[in-house]
Amino acid sequence: MRIDVYTPLLLSLLLALVSPRVGLRLAPAPAARALTAAAVLAAGATTWALVLLTLTLVGQAPPVVADAREDGRVLPDPVPEVVAVAALALLTVAAWRVLRAVRAERATRRTLRRLCEGYPDGTELVVAASPTAQAFAVPGTPGRILVTSAMLAALRPAERRVLLAHERAHLAHRHSLLVHAVTLAAAANPLLAPVRTTVAYLVERWADEHAAEAVGDRRTTAQALARAALVAHRPGCALHFSDRAVTRRVAALQISPPPHLRPIAVAVLALGVLPALGAADATGDLLQLLRSVLT
Amino acid sequence: MAGTIPRGRGERRSPGELESEVLATLWATDQALTPAEIQTDLGGDLAYNTVHTILRRLHDKGLVLRDADGRRGAYRPAKNAAQMTAEAMHHALDRGPDPIAALQQFVTGLSPAEEAALRSLLRESGA
Repeated sequence: MRIDVYTPLLLSLLLALVSPRVGLRLAPAPAARALTAAAVLAAGATTWALVLLTLTLVGQAPPVVADAREDGRVLPDPVPEVVAVAALALLTVAAWRVLRAVRAERATRRTLRRLCEGYPDGTELVVAASPTAQAFAVPGTPGRILVTSAMLAALRPAERRVLLAHERAHLAHRHSLLVHAVTLAAAANPLLAPVRTTVAYLVERWADEHAAEAVGDRRTTAQALARAALVAHRPGCALHFSDRAVTRRVAALQISPPPHLRPIAVAVLALGVLPALGAADATGDLLQLLRSVLT
Repeated sequence: MAGTIPRGRGERRSPGELESEVLATLWATDQALTPAEIQTDLGGDLAYNTVHTILRRLHDKGLVLRDADGRRGAYRPAKNAAQMTAEAMHHALDRGPDPIAALQQFVTGLSPAEEAALRSLLRESGA
């Protein structure tokens, strides 16, 4: 219990550190899946570890202490009280962050549904007559693709096919669910924020690779990305925010597709399973402790 | 490279996907297009009849209109719904970074150096 209970925190940190490297080495689909699964497991384990630490406060509760004194028992004290109180505080913050993330997701869904209102059921493409170049997938049943007229006008015919194939891949592989899951994991455990960033990038890469395959040409796919990025980017915009994502995606399309390395994917998953095991072990220890205290 | 259209690796496109492509083609230009022009734009691997059928389906849904004052047989995209969608989109964008920023957009921001790199890529490929 003394050590086990902290392993989820350490392993989350490790997962966050390796995630960008995994994103570079591995094909985007298995990398995104393995990282998301590991992040969800690690976040669950960390949260549970915080619950366990908080529960040790029970051993220090006045009635329990008085009871034990009467019986002449010495209470085991697995963690210092200050750690348990800190765990309770962290748990409260995590709960608030998860709630906020869930609300944000709901708000996004509502907004998106409104954008596609009134379109017949069998329509995949929803065009917005707008001078702003924008394109995104709208998840749902049926999923839709929203593109502005400015974006369509900027692209060449083959590049428009790339754009549609890219957004279709987001819908077909339910990328919004993956991203939502890893977002919740990072909300519960902020140490996992880099994993979220990596997965968000990887689903774009995944959709790029899918589009390249559908159109049958990596070069055209890279061009479509470059042109879309240039037209979507307003030069007058004072904020030159960039996470280098587009240039990295373009560069990735100029070399051959990355390999599906199973051992790496398995190692990443292990980083999620280990904290879960640590948390489970700590649970057993705490249950034993509590049993001795409460009975 | 300009003007050549790479063919897909024989990936079959569903009727819904073809509808999207025809609609995207009509939206990409200010002019009304005939089925033959759309066929050329889509890479020529579609039969003329297929294009015609898709146009009729889009017309039934009210998403495209027959060009009334222009050439016979030419089509334009219907603007009404698209304008309403654009209004709703801008409304959502203006309300704050939250709803749309959370989405996976096709592309995100660029730094000046990246902008230059992308421009040179497009120049190199002669496009």
